[in-house]
Amino acid sequence: MMPWQPTTIAGPKQARVANPESVIRMLKKAKRPLFIIGPVIICDEGCDETVCHKAKIRSSCMDIAKEWDIPVVTVGHAFKSFLKEGFDTEPMGIIEIVNLLKDPEWKGLRGEGQHDLVLFIGVTYYIASQGLSTLKHFAQHLVTVTLCKFFHPNADASFPNMSDKKWLKYLEKLKISLRILNQEINTIRRV
Amino acid sequence: MTLKGIKELQNEIWMIKNLKANFGELRLNRNWDEPMGPTSKPNVTDLRAWDFKLLSRFEPFYAPFCDMCCMCTFGKCDLLGKKGACGINADAQQARTFLLSCCIGTAAHTAHAHHLLKHLIEKKGENFPIDLGMNIDIEAPIMRTVIGEKPGKLGDFRKVLDYCEEQLTYLLSATHTGQEGNILDFESKTFHAGMIDELSKEVCDISQIAAYGMPKGEEDVPLIELGLGVVDKEKPVILCIGHNVAPGAEIVDYTNDKGLYNEVEVCGICCSAIDISRRDKNAKIIGPLSKQLEFIRSGIADVIVVDEQCIRTDVLEEALKNNSTVIVTTDNACYGLPDRTNEDADKTVSDLIERRIDGALILDAEKVGEIAVKTALRISKDRRNIKILPDLKEVTKYAEDCIKCRMCERTCPNSFPVFDAIQDAGEGQFSKLLEVYEICYSCGKCEESCKADLPLVSMLTKVGGHYLKNQNYRIRQGRGPIQDVEIRKVGRPIVFGEIPGIIAFVGCTNYPKGGEEIAKMAEEFLKRNYIVVATGCSAMSIGEYKDKEGITLYEKYEDVFGAGGLVNLGSCVSNAHVSGACIKIANIFAKKPLRANYEEIADYILNRIGACGVAFGAYSQKASAITAGINRWGIPAIVGPHGTKFKRLLLGRKDKKESWKVNDLRSGEVVEGEPSPEHLLYAAETKEEVIALIPKICIRVNDTPKGRQTKLTNYIDLHQKYIETFPNDLHLFVRNRNDIPITYRKQVTEFLESKGWKPKEAPFEPSLMDFKKEEGR
Ligand code: SF4
Ligand code: SF4
Ligand code: SF4
Repeated sequence: MMPWQPTTIAGPKQARVANPESVIRMLKKAKRPLFIIGPVIICDEGCDETVCHKAKIRSSCMDIAKEWDIPVVTVGHAFKSFLKEGFDTEPMGIIEIVNLLKDPEWKGLRGEGQHDLVLFIGVTYYIASQGLSTLKHFAQHLVTVTLCKFFHPNADASFPNMSDKKWLKYLEKLKISLRILNQEINTIRRV
Repeated sequence: MTLKGIKELQNEIWMIKNLKANFGELRLNRNWDEPMGPTSKPNVTDLRAWDFKLLSRFEPFYAPFCDMCCMCTFGKCDLLGKKGACGINADAQQARTFLLSCCIGTAAHTAHAHHLLKHLIEKKGENFPIDLGMNIDIEAPIMRTVIGEKPGKLGDFRKVLDYCEEQLTYLLSATHTGQEGNILDFESKTFHAGMIDELSKEVCDISQIAAYGMPKGEEDVPLIELGLGVVDKEKPVILCIGHNVAPGAEIVDYTNDKGLYNEVEVCGICCSAIDISRRDKNAKIIGPLSKQLEFIRSGIADVIVVDEQCIRTDVLEEALKNNSTVIVTTDNACYGLPDRTNEDADKTVSDLIERRIDGALILDAEKVGEIAVKTALRISKDRRNIKILPDLKEVTKYAEDCIKCRMCERTCPNSFPVFDAIQDAGEGQFSKLLEVYEICYSCGKCEESCKADLPLVSMLTKVGGHYLKNQNYRIRQGRGPIQDVEIRKVGRPIVFGEIPGIIAFVGCTNYPKGGEEIAKMAEEFLKRNYIVVATGCSAMSIGEYKDKEGITLYEKYEDVFGAGGLVNLGSCVSNAHVSGACIKIANIFAKKPLRANYEEIADYILNRIGACGVAFGAYSQKASAITAGINRWGIPAIVGPHGTKFKRLLLGRKDKKESWKVNDLRSGEVVEGEPSPEHLLYAAETKEEVIALIPKICIRVNDTPKGRQTKLTNYIDLHQKYIETFPNDLHLFVRNRNDIPITYRKQVTEFLESKGWKPKEAPFEPSLMDFKKEEGR
């Protein structure tokens, strides 16, 4: 698939095209996932958040993180929009968190050990592409997955290029599937 | 003999040795009795130990743009998880390409210095004095510290450039296939390239200040007209693009000498514009690099004179489309044009007018002055009737032809919403196109990839020009170095942290959301009593913003190098005065010897001077060399999101306590330090991230409690304002209770308790330098 910005092709290895089902499979395997959310999904000043698709995307992201208990890092100035919703995230720079992620010795956001899967959404396309390249080359210990509406060839797996409508659908599906999965797991545990 | 006695004797022997070695050069330094320091004209490996100290704190971070290497015929090699055929791996390859980038940037500045110096020596003679006036004794702080000499006359700079060229050759050779392979050694060489870049810039700016009579650091220099709207289009217009002032200065001089000043408009884009206006305050500045294609497309310029660096390589092609005449003036960019350097000037003018030649290469700046003016005077009338841009109806007509492929927004470096804007334009609505125009830097990538061949840049230019008729702003004239007398005033408050920082907005216009963000960042810190300086395109971007009252920051804030002052230092080469000011603080305030004493000066700057560079729109190889140059002095820099495409940053790890230890030279103890500055080169994603980071990156180990309180107050304020939360690493910067800002006492105390914080002593003389033998433990 052609990357959203066509010139971000870096070499023969390209990300696998992901969909909600494949992301679920990867999440199921992961022991310590992390979610990185960037400023592209933050509403501009004066935006009517009741109709803006970005507000809906943020809401899906929060639900996904809650469903699967994934710690969230907000980068750029994304923190404040989540704070408004009472949703706790760790503010950092995208470069700062990528630098920590590439160190196999880092203990992770919760101090439980380095993360093994990182979900990205809403990071400025080209800076995300550079950060993903760093992780692709120098962080063999983790898997990167992008949930943006733009295909990111430097990730291990990436949603394809798609419209806002389809993007929202993908995220909704991911959220609902995680909820069902969670319920199943809880049922099994109870049994 | 006691240890002290041995040391004194060693010093004397060393001084005698140096005296002998430099005997032939004593004339140069006749009024300078400072003994020669340890590192005169350092070779590639002479400052390696200092570099390695920096690199142990600020580790290289690589972000490959490309997995492949195609630099030799063994390739292409895919370096993802593998070595290339020459044995290099991905991280060393990034270090190598960054070194290469810095060598290119340094070569550009060194060639610029060489071209200019040659011209000035031809014009003024070898012995033309370097005199920066009564208020500047330390005229060349970088040259003094690196070379160990001071310039008395223009000819003295030749030796400096010889040294620069020699070192640059060694550095470039290290990037050849199968040479250096270690990342730290690549990085040390990169620092070396940056240091050479600093020297070349200083040579360049000081020679032009001295020989062209530009401002010598005086406060309150005049305001210069800036903007697309400042040009009188009824007159013949000459546009200068690039960085070398010589052709533009000669054009201005020619119009003055011939009494033609009011007949011709001389204006410029990029750094040549700033420097021409330092030569003649009536020259007009169109704006930064981002205006280049747009202004050429507008067809306003009758004659376009290009010199070197940051010129579009398709200037000639674009100019021919609208019958403008192009004159190229340096060996860097000849564009295939006939060499008319030795041709009779009037013959060349007539050939240009009659279109017998598309343009001319003229390697004689004075002749450029004459030919450009004569040509502009004769062609401008005929050109007035040429219709160049589409009118608004045609813009709509073009937009209707859009086939909705969306390649415009996919190839726009910033994904600006060109597609949506074009759909609206097809309906006769231009507000979205205007919004894009205001943040667009006319790179032309959208137009190049448009599947319907729409002239998108011309459409944007038309809409912008139609709705924004009053693009008329003000910028201070570039005033060059900071005067010694100003350094005397601010040295102490800066070193003690009471002036919370010096922020230098430098570099190009590869901004993610337009130039206004630079002005907004600058104002935030001006209001908080930081010293703000600016150069080049960033200085222009600051001038292009007006507040609600319609005035620019240059009119609103004083032109002083002091708390809350805003100083335009000048062009890209004036960046040398940023580190120059820091070096002077070390020398004038702290009495540190400068002469060939690089490491001690850099160590002082790193630990005590809260300065930082912000190159939010850095794009070129010169920008990479500039950051490497200031970084080796211990000055951190923040680049914008596109700065990640330099592929290499230098990052500290605040969670690794070990890496922040310092030697307390007073007590002789190795003591716990702090992550200040936290990074040496960091890329921020947004303006908000930069603003929240600056106060932190200006913290220094040596701050007094009062100074630290001021810095922490700013850090908390701005973090809360822009990230909307209390900074979660604040405890790392509170040494003891005296550092706690009064206004935030309760909040900070509670936060410290939550982090299990323990007070520690601040070191008396923090340093990364080794203990001298008798002091060490
Ligand atoms: S320089 Fe080295 S890595 Fe690059 S193409 Fe040649 S052999 Fe391959
Ligand atoms: S010309 Fe402007 S809109 Fe077009 S690609 Fe360049 S920055 Fe984007
Ligand atoms: S690239 Fe051209 S044709 Fe394609 S959507 Fe943009 S304006 Fe339309």
